[in-house]
Amino acid sequence: MLITTPNIAKPDDFYNALLTAHEGLSEAQSQQFNAALALTLANHVGDAAVLQAALDIARASVLT
Amino acid sequence: MTTPRAEFASGGLGYALPTYDFETPPELRGLPCAPYPVVIVGGGLGGLTLGVDLLQRGVPVVLIDEDNTVGVRGASSRGICYAQKSLEIFARLGIYERIAAKGVQWQVGRTLDGVDEVYRFDLRDNAANNASVQPPFINIQQYYIEWFLVERFLALAPTVAGSSLRWQSAVTGCTQTAEAASLTVSTPQGEYALQAEWLIDASGVNSRIRNGFKLPINGIKGEDRWCISDVRFKTEPAAERWTWIQAPFNDNRAVWQHLMADGVWRLDYQMAADTDMAVAAREDVVTERLKRQFGEDVDFELMWVGPYGYRSQMLDSFQHGRVLFVGDVAHVMSPFGARGGNSAIQDADNLGWKLAAVLQGAANESLLASYSDERVAAAAENIEITRRTMRFLAPKAGAQTLLRSAVLGLAKTQPFARALVNTGRMSVANAYLGSRLNVGNAAGKHVQNVALTVNGAATTLVALMAQMNAGLLIVGVGAGKASPAIEAALCGALAAKLKPRYIHLGDQVIDPTGALALQLGGLQDGIAIIRPDLYCAGSASWDDAPALLKRFSAELEQPSC
Repeated sequence: MLITTPNIAKPDDFYNALLTAHEGLSEAQSQQFNAALALTLANHVGDAAVLQAALDIARASVLT
Repeated sequence: MTTPRAEFASGGLGYALPTYDFETPPELRGLPCAPYPVVIVGGGLGGLTLGVDLLQRGVPVVLIDEDNTVGVRGASSRGICYAQKSLEIFARLGIYERIAAKGVQWQVGRTLDGVDEVYRFDLRDNAANNASVQPPFINIQQYYIEWFLVERFLALAPTVAGSSLRWQSAVTGCTQTAEAASLTVSTPQGEYALQAEWLIDASGVNSRIRNGFKLPINGIKGEDRWCISDVRFKTEPAAERWTWIQAPFNDNRAVWQHLMADGVWRLDYQMAADTDMAVAAREDVVTERLKRQFGEDVDFELMWVGPYGYRSQMLDSFQHGRVLFVGDVAHVMSPFGARGGNSAIQDADNLGWKLAAVLQGAANESLLASYSDERVAAAAENIEITRRTMRFLAPKAGAQTLLRSAVLGLAKTQPFARALVNTGRMSVANAYLGSRLNVGNAAGKHVQNVALTVNGAATTLVALMAQMNAGLLIVGVGAGKASPAIEAALCGALAAKLKPRYIHLGDQVIDPTGALALQLGGLQDGIAIIRPDLYCAGSASWDDAPALLKRFSAELEQPSC
């Protein structure tokens, strides 16, 4: 099951870390960073059903 | 008939191939000819494999081929990688030893991005590859395989009356009724007609027979263009399969480097979209490309050059009445993972025993529909797997390119990302999971040619089945024995004509590593049926054993709808 309720202890800290990690990157580098991050986390999750649920949420979020 | 006595002599561009003489067929000598049981059109991998298989089963075969030699258009080498399942089939057909002696074994594949290795596999690391007596792969030029098959066919043909191999015979027309297919054949001495109870079209991607019946063939023609150069170096690279995803010496496009027999190497270069392929294949342009890869002073002999484009397509059904389609005529796919030639060989392996069973009264005609069902599923699987590789190797602009860059960037340091690098997934025997011939547990899976010990002597599954003259092999394990009920099920039904034989593991026959029992679904106490093409039709407990055999017999007897 994909966790969709808040699960990060300090959400502001994480978001800050995410933005900091993008700093100084070109547009293309930022895009590749995001792709690499998605792949890295996907490997950690592993479970095909959870990954598909995440893909569905992400796709729906940009189509609406 | 001219039979080659020596190895192919090399000379300039390509090889000197054996040639075979046209012989006047009985039809052109005015002799009356009844319909032949089987006519095979096309002497490539699929047609020749099927021809030899049928002859070994005692079925007369007339095989006709357009030209007078093996190989395609001169010394084009076409397929070069022969997978374990194909090698096991060739062991059964009696040409494996020649292939092993002539070909090159390889285990290590490396994938590079620029100068960095991003993925590496060793085929020996996969324990499943080691269960067979045959190695995971042997690389050899396709025309050697065809040559060995032709010689085997010619050796067997005199033992099965009504068999012949007819060279320089082109099909110019084909019609069919419910009872037979009729062909018009054009030869140097004129045209003649012949009838076949079953016509096998193995005539390749541009089949006139398939086109004549206007059968819809669904597919996509890729835009990716490649150019093969087969060369012989004075100093050979390592005996490994190397793949560059973005080769610095090919303007950051992909390159394949693979070895073959006689010290010949295949180099396959991905071309830019706007490449003039006629120019790309010119000898001076090819030489320039090789120098960019191997250095100015590279010393080599150019054997063959072939520009080509990717294409994927397949027929909805591999049977059209009295006509059965084998190999490229039925399905083509991108070359990743060596799934083209190997699937033609495995089509033939699937069809051979079924066609023989129908012609010899051991099964109803409806069995042939299972050939189409099983091999259509295999072709669809192969096309899907190669399509995925295609998307990695020739990504579209945008997300596909972005994600590939991310994978390659991670792969330099992260093992998990290397699993996503896809430069071709090597051909394995397709499972027939949806087949109606699956009548028990563990069904539809390929059974490898495992090593066995019989009365203390080393043998193999293939050799044992040949020695026992077994069509079906029934394998028993555990406390039970072949009871009268099982014997009755074996001998009472049509399946008996498939020459079922029984072995009990642990008596005279020892499965020393447990590999056979493992492949029969971890069989510990019960029986399993191994089909003539070395697929498991199902296993069952001793209590259910008679029912298992009856179900398999019933499938063979199933009337046509």
